[in-house]
Amino acid sequence: MTQYIVRRVIQAIPVLFLISVVSFLLMLSAPGGPANQFNQNPHISAAQINKWLQDWCLVQNPTPLDTVREYLGWLGVWNCSGGSFLSVHGLPNFLPAFLGGGTNGILHGDFGYSIETGQPVLGMIYQRLPTTIILMGTAFVLWATIAIIAGVIAAVRRYSFFDQSVTFVSYVLYSLPTFWLGLILIFIFGEALRWFPVQGMVNVRTSAAPFATQAYWQSFFADPIPNIVDIASHLVLPVVTLIAVSIAGDSRFVRSAMLDSLHQDYVRTARAKGIRERQVIIRHAFRNALLPILTNLALEIAFLFSGAIVTETVFSLPGMGRLYYDGVENSDYFLLMGILLIGSVLVVLMNLLADIAYAFADPRIRYD
Amino acid sequence: MPRIPQTQGDPPPSDILLDVRDLRTHFRVMDGTVPAVDGVSFQVRRGETLGVVGESGCGKSVTALTIMRLIETPPGEIVSGEVWFDGRDVLQLSQDEMLDVRGAEMAMIFQEPMTSLNPVLTVGDQIVEAVVAHKKINHRAALDRAVEMLRLVGIPEAPRRVKQYPHEMSGGMRQRVMIALALSCDPKLLIADEPTTALDVTIQAQILELIRKVQAETGTALLLITHDLGVVAETVQRVVVMYAGKVVETGTVDEVLQDPKHPYTEGLLASIPSKGMRGTRLNVIKGSVPNPFRMPVGCRFHPRCPYAFDPCPDHEPPLDEQGNPERRVACWLHTKPPFGLEHRPRYGTATPLAVEAAGEAVR
Repeated sequence: MTQYIVRRVIQAIPVLFLISVVSFLLMLSAPGGPANQFNQNPHISAAQINKWLQDWCLVQNPTPLDTVREYLGWLGVWNCSGGSFLSVHGLPNFLPAFLGGGTNGILHGDFGYSIETGQPVLGMIYQRLPTTIILMGTAFVLWATIAIIAGVIAAVRRYSFFDQSVTFVSYVLYSLPTFWLGLILIFIFGEALRWFPVQGMVNVRTSAAPFATQAYWQSFFADPIPNIVDIASHLVLPVVTLIAVSIAGDSRFVRSAMLDSLHQDYVRTARAKGIRERQVIIRHAFRNALLPILTNLALEIAFLFSGAIVTETVFSLPGMGRLYYDGVENSDYFLLMGILLIGSVLVVLMNLLADIAYAFADPRIRYD
Repeated sequence: MPRIPQTQGDPPPSDILLDVRDLRTHFRVMDGTVPAVDGVSFQVRRGETLGVVGESGCGKSVTALTIMRLIETPPGEIVSGEVWFDGRDVLQLSQDEMLDVRGAEMAMIFQEPMTSLNPVLTVGDQIVEAVVAHKKINHRAALDRAVEMLRLVGIPEAPRRVKQYPHEMSGGMRQRVMIALALSCDPKLLIADEPTTALDVTIQAQILELIRKVQAETGTALLLITHDLGVVAETVQRVVVMYAGKVVETGTVDEVLQDPKHPYTEGLLASIPSKGMRGTRLNVIKGSVPNPFRMPVGCRFHPRCPYAFDPCPDHEPPLDEQGNPERRVACWLHTKPPFGLEHRPRYGTATPLAVEAAGEAVR
């Protein structure tokens, strides 16, 4: 088991490297370029621009070699200010700083500065992370739970009224575009019925400070319950928007996986033992249906991220998705690359967790 | 709620463990109704071994699943009949009451050892589950029971094997586990549905030997379903031959194998290859199993029967006694046909297929 996990973790490393290449190439292919973007921001002085250009190996009209240097500098393998693979200490630049490596690049936790705000990218993402994690965590748990319960019941009571209803609702929800659903929910439950707030993570009138600032957390932990209620009420509409489509698709998937395993020989064996039907369904049919379901859930975590961009924008949530959307509008290169990379790392981590969960669920794939 | 046929008759004498009477299980599917089991009757005495023989699709397995009440409804439906088991008609029991019978008093071994065990549970867990469900013992005692059962079925290193998953075992080993599982609650009746079909020949012999051995040790009655007459000859005392959802011949194994009366049984025996036949064409029963949506009228075997004559296409032969109540044949050759029709085969009067078959038989 340990060997399996270690192997999976090692496999994640080349994936992350490739992700960094793709993130960089995507930004490279976007029109403009960081150097041009600096010039358009009146808040940045010429001296600052020159320093950053220097720090990040940026040049006007780069040759392919300059581009490779730019990538390696962003990664932290190339020492831009020194112009070599070695750090100021004369050791390989990619080593951690305390071992004598450099300090630039994502390997050393330096994601650069936002062109728009001039702040460190990592700090900006860090500030937005709680919103996204709360939103996506809630969405994921609800999504998986509802899809599994609905799918299992639909499969067990195949062709019943419940099954037909789930099918009908699924097809309706599945055909709704996320941004449109969000706006309609705002219109009905926020505007017409006034049941739920329609923007932000917290009520700005009652909360002590903006969400996810230090002052906010202090007041949050001083009196958590009203704050949790406040966040929960703000999350209702975004979460529904985010998961409606996924639930629709996944409940169908769970249903078919469950139907598949209900017709397996071992389910008949289980019934022949004379154990209760509930036990047959949960221990035998569902335990086996869980394997494809886990795979599917892991794959769809990435969809959750892209869904979060739309949802956070529609509901003005201060999360990473919104930050990304703003970044795109401002051609904020370092910010975008940072978010792409950190988002991808989160997806890779989630998939790693899913793989490990999979190994627990299926004895056949444990390597040792 | 599926319709349950009402009990008509009285319980059988107490030495009869299982008494199946005129059982009919039909499947209603989109294209029509399939009478998979259509009026099947037989008895199994306590501790006895009864073989049910027939081609694929003749209703053997459906009969077994009906006795276990494992027919999925819909599409399956037990249309009529009685299944007296140990003094009660199990068709009258509710599914809840059936839980105490299934696995505990009657247990089943399936054809496919590779897929019949749950791949994500250890074999120990799967046996423990059955034991805990039927016996008032705790998990630890049930696990001891599982180890004991694995030993009984000849699995070496049982305490280690009990913690293994099915994928860590061979097909023969898994079938041993299935047998251990089925016998774990001391059932009075063991139904084995083609227990050796999916196994290598050498393993087949071992598994049959094992079934015979544990049956002798535990005194359980055995209903052995197979298409393999070799298996029947070695294992059972009495035989029921089924064709197209009906019983066509019954008797002791010697009677049926030495002196088959039904042309179908005769054909089955003739189609077994033997050593002296090298180089000659294999005897086969002409034609194929009838389309279940359009069963032949009259005797269901008549389109393939080399002896078919006047009454066969129109009148279904009854399962009549031949000397004693347990030696029965459903064939007009052995029963006086109604309407004064002559009691002798007339080749070729039934169907073109029969003409061809008869020609083959003469050649």
